[in-house]
Amino acid sequence: MPRLTTHLQLILALAVTLVLPLVMQSGSLATEVLIYALAVLGCNLLLGYTGLLSFGQGIFFGMGSYTVGILLTRSGLPLPVALVAAVVVGALAALLVGWFAIRQRGTYFVMLTLAFSQLFYFLAYSLPDLTGGDNGLLDVPRPAIGVGGHELLSLASPWQFYALVAASFFLVFWLLLRITNSVFGRTLLAIRDNEARAAAVGYNVRLFKLAVFALSGAVTALAGAFLAIMTGIAPLSSIEYHTSEMILVMTVIGGTGNLFASVLGAAFYVLFSDWLSSLWPRWLMLLGFLLIAVSLFMQKGLWGLGERIWLAVRRKGTPGHAPKSTENGS
Amino acid sequence: MNVYLLQVINGIGVGMLYFLLAVGLSIIFGLLRFVNFAHGAFYLLGAYFCFQAIAWGLNFWLALLIVPFVVGALAWLIEKVLLRYVYAQAHEFHILVTVGLALVIQELVIVIWGPLGDNVATPAILQGVVMWGDFIYPKYRLFVIGFTSVFACLLWWLLEGTRLGSAVRAGSESTEMVSLLGINVFRVFSLVFALGAATAALAGVLAAPIRGVEPFMGIEALGIAFVIVVVGGMGSFSGALVGGLLIGIVQSIMSTLWPEGARLMIYVAMAAVLLLRPHGLLGRG
Repeated sequence: MPRLTTHLQLILALAVTLVLPLVMQSGSLATEVLIYALAVLGCNLLLGYTGLLSFGQGIFFGMGSYTVGILLTRSGLPLPVALVAAVVVGALAALLVGWFAIRQRGTYFVMLTLAFSQLFYFLAYSLPDLTGGDNGLLDVPRPAIGVGGHELLSLASPWQFYALVAASFFLVFWLLLRITNSVFGRTLLAIRDNEARAAAVGYNVRLFKLAVFALSGAVTALAGAFLAIMTGIAPLSSIEYHTSEMILVMTVIGGTGNLFASVLGAAFYVLFSDWLSSLWPRWLMLLGFLLIAVSLFMQKGLWGLGERIWLAVRRKGTPGHAPKSTENGS
Repeated sequence: MNVYLLQVINGIGVGMLYFLLAVGLSIIFGLLRFVNFAHGAFYLLGAYFCFQAIAWGLNFWLALLIVPFVVGALAWLIEKVLLRYVYAQAHEFHILVTVGLALVIQELVIVIWGPLGDNVATPAILQGVVMWGDFIYPKYRLFVIGFTSVFACLLWWLLEGTRLGSAVRAGSESTEMVSLLGINVFRVFSLVFALGAATAALAGVLAAPIRGVEPFMGIEALGIAFVIVVVGGMGSFSGALVGGLLIGIVQSIMSTLWPEGARLMIYVAMAAVLLLRPHGLLGRG
């Protein structure tokens, strides 16, 4: 299979944003798919492109939720300003966590990200004046976007809000594609594949990791901010371990070979969980089994599975032309 | 002043439980080189099995004896049928498999025992308090300190004084070398994994009468075990002991000074240790 080109990924992402409204009844569910796709993109940048397994993505997601929650309920700032603030806060939180965690490598790093996600959870829990504690922040408004009192886009209906999220998602996706294809992105891959070599070549590995961590935090916080605005609450659960775990699971299920796989992972998880949770409240157990199965049999996730099927079909079509070496191409 | 002394002793009790929780994780990491995210789930199982045993009318002592073996056997089986097949994969998949496992166990617990927590009665002999002059302390917590101290000594002997212990310690230096010396490393892996899970379950049994049982205690315990291992230094028995006691005492003292923030301070203490000693208090560079 030819390498998935940047253009093709961009077209696929655009297609998803356009097809979701056509095939889905619920605007908020469609929005949720794109919101989590954003968060998963942030996680994929770390796991797929830099080889950093982070259990702390919930920190940035929650920080994004709380930032817009606090700003919109208390200050009445315009929505775009609140979103930008959430992105900045997410990046700063990621810099802080990254500064501690990136000093360690491998397993230590993983444990530290989880420990920090607990730290931020208890921080949010211990500051009820700011975060609403156990109850979270309620009644987060969803003001229309306008310039100088002139309304440009009302966000009252779910599909209007979807339009905003879809546009932001597409913009972020395009930006991240640009970034991963840049020299910066290639350096991240070099670090992922062989950290010692990248350091020996002269790259400041820690600085690169910190930068990608901040980028990931910013994108994840944007996702958290959108979810808080959509649901009208910034709950304590958004900063919980469970959120970190969920984002990571979506990332792994989708696959980490390319950015579009993240959209696949998020869409699968959100739609699958929406369907299953109405059937069986303990559907998370199935997810656990799925995670085990993915780790054992399909480490490249849904995308990898699709790739394998595609290859098998093509091999049947043109006998004697089996491309073996593409199996492990990333 | 007396309040703080009491809190320090309380902290030692909590800290010994934390030590039990962390030492298994630490030993497993030392040998198998992966972080067991299902460790908290074994602790959870320990607590719920204890709850169930008492609900069936068995007494606490029997639960204390049997439950670690049951959970250990379960872990041994899981290592044999599942984990063995991921050792060859990249290290993030070791972690993800155990994350999936933890999720399955947690949801199973909710399916069987329901999403709400429950209390576990303290055994009759250990109810009430002991008094020395004006010093008052709950009997059960005193028992926990005594029991875990004895257990810690036993575990130390197991690691330092037996053939299995030598294999474990040598294995954490170089698995290939140990296997060249004619020791079946995979058997040691299974045993160590089971032992680690059993100590977590023991911590769960001991904690049940103090904090009750609820399905999400596993993930909380996992976070704390990570903190202790990070604070104490990875892969070492003494690191887990020092880290466990330190974190236990910090939590206890903070719970009088700032009750809402007591658990937050555990993690702040971790960040502080990391700033001063990036590899933990007793970690080797």
